[in-house]
Amino acid sequence: MATLTTHKPVRLMESDNQRKNSNRALRRFLRHRGAVFGAVLLVFVIGYVILGSLLFSESYANFNDTSRRLQPPSTEHPMGTDNIGRDIFARTVYGGQISLMIGFLAVTVAVLIGTTVGVVTGYFGGWIDVILMRLTEAMLSIPTLLFLLMIANIFGGKVPQIALFGRVFSGSVVVIIVIIGLTSWMGLSRIVRSLVLSLKEAEFITAARALGASDLRLIFKHILPNIVAPVVVSATLGVGGAILSESYISFLGVGVGAPTATWGNILEGSRQFFEQAPWLWVAPGILILMTVMGINFLGDGLRDALDPRSDKSA
Amino acid sequence: MRFFRIALVVLALMAVMAAPMQAQGKSATVSWPQEPDTLSPLYTSMTFAGYTYQLYLSGAWAFDADLTPFPVLVSEIPSVDNGGINADGTVFTLKLKEGLTWSDGDALDSADFLFTYEMIMAEGNAVGSRTPYDRFVSIEAPDATTVVITFAEPYAPWLSLFGAVLPEHVLRPVFEAEGSIDTADFNRNPTVSSGPYVFETWEVGSFMRFQANPAYVLGQPKIDTLVVTFIPDEVAYVAALINGDSDLGTFVAFSDVPALEEAGLTVEVIPSGYNEGWYLNTSAERAHPAMTDVNVRKAIAMAFDRDDFNATLNYGATFTPHSFWENTPYANPDIDPYPFDPAMAAQLLDEAGWVDSNGDGTRDKDGVELVLRFVTNTRGIRVDLQAIAQQQLAAVGIGTELINFPSDQFFAGYAEGGPISTGQYDIAELSTAPATFPDPNTVRFLCSEIPSDENPVGANDNYYCDPELDALFEQQSSTTDLAERIAIFHQIDQKMFDAAIWIGIWHDADVWITGSDLQNVALNGVTPFWDVQNWDVAS
Amino acid sequence: MARYVIRRLLQAIPLLLIVSFVLFALMQATGDPLATMGGRQPTRAADRERLARQLGLDQPIHVQYVYWLIGNDWVVVDAETGRTGTRRGILRGDFGVSYATRQPVLEMIGGRVPDTLLLTLTAEVLILTVSLGIGIFSAVRKYSFFDQAFTSISFVLYSVPVFIMAYTLIYAFSIGLRRAGLPYFPTSGIFDPAIGRTFEQVVWHMVLPVLTLSLISIAAYSRYIRSTMLEVISSDYIRTARSKGITERRTLFVHAFKNASLPLITLIGLDLPFLLGGAVVTETIFAWPGMGYLFINSLQRSDYPVLMGILMLIAVGVVISQLIVDLLYTVLDPRIRYS
Repeated sequence: MATLTTHKPVRLMESDNQRKNSNRALRRFLRHRGAVFGAVLLVFVIGYVILGSLLFSESYANFNDTSRRLQPPSTEHPMGTDNIGRDIFARTVYGGQISLMIGFLAVTVAVLIGTTVGVVTGYFGGWIDVILMRLTEAMLSIPTLLFLLMIANIFGGKVPQIALFGRVFSGSVVVIIVIIGLTSWMGLSRIVRSLVLSLKEAEFITAARALGASDLRLIFKHILPNIVAPVVVSATLGVGGAILSESYISFLGVGVGAPTATWGNILEGSRQFFEQAPWLWVAPGILILMTVMGINFLGDGLRDALDPRSDKSA
Repeated sequence: MRFFRIALVVLALMAVMAAPMQAQGKSATVSWPQEPDTLSPLYTSMTFAGYTYQLYLSGAWAFDADLTPFPVLVSEIPSVDNGGINADGTVFTLKLKEGLTWSDGDALDSADFLFTYEMIMAEGNAVGSRTPYDRFVSIEAPDATTVVITFAEPYAPWLSLFGAVLPEHVLRPVFEAEGSIDTADFNRNPTVSSGPYVFETWEVGSFMRFQANPAYVLGQPKIDTLVVTFIPDEVAYVAALINGDSDLGTFVAFSDVPALEEAGLTVEVIPSGYNEGWYLNTSAERAHPAMTDVNVRKAIAMAFDRDDFNATLNYGATFTPHSFWENTPYANPDIDPYPFDPAMAAQLLDEAGWVDSNGDGTRDKDGVELVLRFVTNTRGIRVDLQAIAQQQLAAVGIGTELINFPSDQFFAGYAEGGPISTGQYDIAELSTAPATFPDPNTVRFLCSEIPSDENPVGANDNYYCDPELDALFEQQSSTTDLAERIAIFHQIDQKMFDAAIWIGIWHDADVWITGSDLQNVALNGVTPFWDVQNWDVAS
Repeated sequence: MARYVIRRLLQAIPLLLIVSFVLFALMQATGDPLATMGGRQPTRAADRERLARQLGLDQPIHVQYVYWLIGNDWVVVDAETGRTGTRRGILRGDFGVSYATRQPVLEMIGGRVPDTLLLTLTAEVLILTVSLGIGIFSAVRKYSFFDQAFTSISFVLYSVPVFIMAYTLIYAFSIGLRRAGLPYFPTSGIFDPAIGRTFEQVVWHMVLPVLTLSLISIAAYSRYIRSTMLEVISSDYIRTARSKGITERRTLFVHAFKNASLPLITLIGLDLPFLLGGAVVTETIFAWPGMGYLFINSLQRSDYPVLMGILMLIAVGVVISQLIVDLLYTVLDPRIRYS
């Protein structure tokens, strides 16, 4: 319910101060115990899904055998088997790759849209600002999860499967990435807009403009570099949100389709055997938890590190 | 600290929880996994709405445990012998019992039958289905207890007529005032009854309560209060049956059967006409080119181990059907399902010219890979089946692309671009039954029903056309002699089997669960409450 | 002030129109409401064609939108009889009729609002009281054992997906207690129909869903309250207040808290309208007959009028609660003035 958006705007840094600040930032980051813990968690999860794929092939993760269905964890299947006898360990590995990919790519989409909208509205103002900000407000007044469910329902089954990096994905992966991206850019665009608004009045921008710099040059050379830090923080936290969103819509039955596993749809398949076979939901559940927790810790640490003003004690 | 105070309150409430059940007379609880849309018989196709309205509305007749019709509002089932059906099967005369009344004392007579027909056909009422009332040439009431229906052509599935009759004295004023009874209060809060029970209350999202109707034409029910609860969560549903909170339930998954049997509940598998099956698309334009070859279709049937699937994922609670009319007299008993035989499947594919010439593991022919679109909805067991079938079909060199649609898209019509209706598939898995079960008639396989831009309402999702099959369907639909009709259906069944256009996956009978307290329960898959007046509870 | 409110409300009109049109257009693509009519197999094609005509689904989308918005009682829908439509449109309070139940949408939603609010408001109140307590306490006792412990716990809780929380609670407090032979919490519905809708029953059934909703948010909220309180406590005027000899308790609860409440109100204002939308995942798991559950069911049936009704109601709620939040600002912070 209470989806808390704790994006604190980060104070601006001027370009000439950047290098000095980045060393300080790294030190601050490393001092931040939570951030280091978050990074360790994430490294573990990423290691799990990458190294795990050296242990088994994707076809093993999809290999089913009804004679060994719903087996509890054993040495052969350390996390047990699912309803049609697939190895859950292997499925969480390959499902994790998809879940993480969805998280990162969806946020990439959101960052692209959010930054573009924020910069355009903040920098140019005028009617385009009015229209885009109205659109942003409109998007914000629709409950995200309900909106996501609706759009996922629209595209369900309509996109054919795709081959990428020698692997075949259910087309729904792309759909999910795009729709999560499309429904999560609004907060970022508001942050970027307010940053750009105040930057526009900064002396070094006024100076550059007086020297005849074009709008494009101003945006790419002077404005964008100065908003990278808050965007990175917001994006990091967004990855966790996107992974959760995927798991929610898969859980509610309109997510990524078979045979492509994700943590969310492994969980969905566990509902019927909730009591009978708890290993179906424990492993993917813990992995989602670890990922989101890692990202939250990391994002928090990054914010503290990149924002010189932030009171470390707070 | 406030948290602890709240926790204390909760604990205190835990202690006083054991509220006693106030019972007046005998009471039983029936549970559905879905809440009915409405209590009106006109507006929904939902199975549970269909079951529930039968508690308070009677029809002309009902079916017994063997699906044999018996009279309810009529005095006898029409037949050629008793003069109820004319010689060519076009005129049906229903003789109503004398002195029928609604629960408020108003007479129930032929005018109510005519009114029901009028409501179904009224343009102002957006009813779910007009079948078969739109085939009437006329309907007349020569007197208060006689209804005469005339069809243009002999109509064999006439037993699907008048499953419920509406009260004219209640609804006529509404219809006259509003021009429609779509939103009539009666649909959710029926004030009169002609069935075994009288509606009392509907607590939205939770339950309905009915009280016995002393004036029921087949006698007052022994159980005084019948509660119908809705428990959508599958786990909670099964738990309610096991705990004894519910006395009767249905639609549990086959996988829940072992636990229910272990708990000492009576589990009955009751045919409802439904069979889960693969529709194989034979369209030359819309399907994969291989699909037009009957041997490829047979190979598909032989490549998937249906018996193993039913033994494991369906827990042996059902079996592989050999006919679209499985478990009815119309199914041809001499047919055995295609066996699971990968070697034979491979051979058939080889002979059909589909071989793996480029060594990628998937067969091909003339540069076209044998990759089929396997579509179904997002239901869990179908998704699981797809994964298993994909692996088994791959073993004989048939590639599959698995596509899952939400149900409202999967079943969407031709104009809405529904994947089945528009033939955008090669294999489609869904559960279907003859539209007017227990009558076997179906138009699904007629040439004239092939959908197209000119005929977007076509029902032939296989895009299959065989004039001989058409002729047989035509012949049976105007045959009122049962034995003769069965013989024609056996021929139809054989033709459909040989053409391999529909592959039965499991017999999709309904699983009904009866608690040990409930006695004398006899059910069927069409009118489960046909004998509810004789049910009893252990005292 | 009145002029400000009127201006804000006028500004909301184009916003709501945009939202409604975008949603309406998207609705048409979600699925076919006539696909099965709730049944087990596809609706007969002939019936489908007739129903589309009777329900107006065969009209072009902009026409459907206009009818939805302002009704069709000014249009002749049946040329033969000269009959006009009967819908009055959402602007005149007619949300339309559900395709599935043929019940007026407003009536359907109205039936769900109390149960949804019962769940979400209870959770919100619990969240606020508990997290205020924890937040303030850990701000005052910065770096105490309690503060450190709660910080760690809250970080874990904050990252738990809702369904994992629900599953864990069900496993522990329903299945676990039952296996131990103890009284256990129910996991489905709002009361036991065999007993009836008594106060005890509802409370009993609310425990697990409310906890599911609360635990995660308590973690987030109390962190937020802690940091806002810290910021305020270290500010100049609090130091001034302290130096003037005002008691610690009074400083904290009157001066500091009043200032810390501004960001809190923003947060609540953001939450409130969405409480109306219910909690889709929680309501689905616990079969709680609320709005989220209605939404999912209606989505499966492509019941556009119901979906539109729910979404528009929330959108209006967002507009109104934003306005209330802004007005509250002027009350709490005299420096803010709207004109």
